[in-house]
Amino acid sequence: MELFRITRNAWGQETLEGISWDLLPVAFGLGIAIIAGHLVWRALRKRSMGKR
Amino acid sequence: MNTPVPLITRHAPVDRVFHWITALAVLLLLASAFLPILGVKFSWVPLHWISGVVLTVAVIFHTIRSTFFRRLKCMLIWPRHLREFAAGKRAAKYTLPQKLMHAVLGFAVLLATATGVVMLAKVDTPFWQRNPYLLEASTWGIVYVLHGAAALAILTLTMAHLYFSLLPEKRAYLRAMIGGQMTREEAAVHHDPARWSGERKHDPRENGT
Repeated sequence: MELFRITRNAWGQETLEGISWDLLPVAFGLGIAIIAGHLVWRALRKRSMGKR
Repeated sequence: MNTPVPLITRHAPVDRVFHWITALAVLLLLASAFLPILGVKFSWVPLHWISGVVLTVAVIFHTIRSTFFRRLKCMLIWPRHLREFAAGKRAAKYTLPQKLMHAVLGFAVLLATATGVVMLAKVDTPFWQRNPYLLEASTWGIVYVLHGAAALAILTLTMAHLYFSLLPEKRAYLRAMIGGQMTREEAAVHHDPARWSGERKHDPRENGT
């Protein structure tokens, strides 16, 4: 997985083009992970409070 | 006859208008940035730069208003806030998670708007002509990397923000962002009435921090 988009110009020099769009699924996955993690924590907390 | 439920004001109309303009602009910016990458082809540049200008104006307005006309310190995070949160103490106007979300999302939006304003130099609009030679190619690359990184962070944080706003136990906050108000009972769950009770104008003791 690339972190950056890099192109070569007519003289073969590397030019930074921006951040790699390979990271788009990573950002989306991180959002899903935060939501899933909180849902699990929330369910466990509710269960432990119910036992008290 | 039912007695009316005592309501307190959480968000002034101008703050709610700012929030929803920002929300719409961010959603349009995310859509016009990422849908073409996912293969949805449309003329995304005009939608992107116009939404970006709207967001920039909204951010400048909010920064000036909250710095000079509101209590900026309501949003600052100090070590005592961490201790209070760990001890389960109720917060003032904003809870620690709310302040953290504001700080991280605010930083990402500021980075995206600052780099986006520079990138406007590469777009032809009815108001200005493009000047791609404003910066050197290597500097443009850094601007693009920062803009892209901020956009990805905003995507993650927006997903989290939407999720938290839709949770049933946070419904009062969503209602307050729509109608401006919440009940005293709802506020008292997470907010200490001695530190924030929605009556800030006439009570010098209540500073919302």
